Amino acid sequence: MRIRVLKPGLMSTIQDMGRYQYLSQAVPVSGAMDRLSARMANKALGNGDNAAVIEFTYADAAFIAETDLLISYTGDGAILTSEGYQLPAGRPLFILSGAIIKLTNNPSGSRTYLAVAGGWDVPEILGSKSTYLAVGFGGLDGRALRRGDILKSEQGLTEITKKILKSLKGDKVTYPGWSITGQSFLPADRKTIRVMRGNEFDWFDARSISVFLSTSYIIGRQSNRMGYHLEGAMIARKKKNELLSSAVMPGTIQVTGSGSMVLLMADCQTTGGYPRIAQVAAVDMPLCAQLKPGDSIFFKEISWRDAEMLYIEREQQLQQLTIAVQSKFL
Amino acid sequence: MPEGIFKIYYLSEAAVTVEFGQRITSNLLNAVNSLNILLYRQPFPGFHTTVPAYSTLTVFYDPVLVIKSDLPGADCFEKVSGYLNNLNPQQKAVKPAIRNIVTIPVCYGGGFGPDLAEVASLHQLSIAEVIKLHSAVTYKVYMIGFIPGFAYLGGMDERLSTPRKLTPRKSVPAGAVGVAGLQTGVYPLESPGGWQIIGQTPVKLFDLNRREPSLLKSGDTVIFKAIDIKGFNKLATG
Repeated sequence: MRIRVLKPGLMSTIQDMGRYQYLSQAVPVSGAMDRLSARMANKALGNGDNAAVIEFTYADAAFIAETDLLISYTGDGAILTSEGYQLPAGRPLFILSGAIIKLTNNPSGSRTYLAVAGGWDVPEILGSKSTYLAVGFGGLDGRALRRGDILKSEQGLTEITKKILKSLKGDKVTYPGWSITGQSFLPADRKTIRVMRGNEFDWFDARSISVFLSTSYIIGRQSNRMGYHLEGAMIARKKKNELLSSAVMPGTIQVTGSGSMVLLMADCQTTGGYPRIAQVAAVDMPLCAQLKPGDSIFFKEISWRDAEMLYIEREQQLQQLTIAVQSKFL
Repeated sequence: MPEGIFKIYYLSEAAVTVEFGQRITSNLLNAVNSLNILLYRQPFPGFHTTVPAYSTLTVFYDPVLVIKSDLPGADCFEKVSGYLNNLNPQQKAVKPAIRNIVTIPVCYGGGFGPDLAEVASLHQLSIAEVIKLHSAVTYKVYMIGFIPGFAYLGGMDERLSTPRKLTPRKSVPAGAVGVAGLQTGVYPLESPGGWQIIGQTPVKLFDLNRREPSLLKSGDTVIFKAIDIKGFNKLATG
């Protein structure tokens, strides 16, 4: 299966579940910002969760099917249309060769994931297909997609993917009556982000902590795949110690020297020397990944024990979902 | 904290950090690297990878596998920290890691070291003295961070301690050797940078074509060796 990019959109990159084996060499983890949506797109096709997907940022992108396709998409950055008709998200979509697919505006979020049967075929660099833009490796030649780029799918398909393809293949756009969505896993209140105490939580004064946990913060303009600037009340320190740099990861909220906060995202550095006020619960990182500059959010504290339980519960639910998709085609 | 004693804290649901102290000393660095070696020799179920830093070792794992494991504890944190605590007493039995000694050839000054003259005049040293001071000591890699393959080196002669440039350069070439405060290091990749650039190495600090892309790792010993432009060109093309 093959597509050609007609319009690349603001920023479209190939991503998977990330690059974990070289963190000690300061190679960032990268991967899909919204891991939940990327996994859903793959699950809808019977792919493994780690198959490479395209991460689109906002709408205004388009591609043409150069062969018949089996694709799926998820996320909140855009709605896919073909010849003016909306294509439903979270389902396997059989598309005929020659169809032009457009990403049209969906103001609810920022990122959309496009999976293909077998996953997009790009070389694995340091154990991952994810694009790391700052240094320029991974994905398609280490860069964002451009007009004219051709992307092919991997040859090997899972048994389930083969069955899905067989059941949908026809002479028009076809998709099943069911869909899967990440929404069912996410809290209804998408503006409240759950956090746990960072190791330097006690370095900040009580008033700042209570402001942090009660007032809104706005996602700054400077935000990107490395991190978000959080605009709002400054955080004051009571402890002025210097911190020796140590590991940080996506979800870490650092407080800079001026008292402003930065939420680290997928392409963040592996180490940092700013005190860490909090860590975003992994289960709420998909919410963060869909935020746009100008969006406002609140933070709410939960315990580490609860965060861990939520993490494990989410993984169990996702496991059940894989089985549910498989059972439809067995 | 006495040697070998550490505290453990959550970094995320999938990682804990073992902290041996809050100072830059070779003893703490050895403790970090000994635990790292031990953990790779005897990983626990669900163990993924580690990030060593100045005085901490961060341990990444898969919570789904850890919670299913037989390790004692009610949650992943208890299971992993219990395991790490039990691993620790044996630590003294770990021979200090075989220390890699890496020699990095550097062509100082000229077009490769645009700030060398400024650094020399700031400290009222001759250019030759700066080169000698920088290349006479052995350095230790305290941490790899910032960008892929970037090593934070400790051990620079205090006489070379220099403030950063007031305006960072938009682009510093890969291989540029800089000083900033008491730190010295090599830019592995072309990037913006505020360090005073005193030379350049033709050696690649980060190379995707190597099995281990980063030339340096935590705990390595580094020696800078002065070379001339002929030597640089020979190594750069060889």
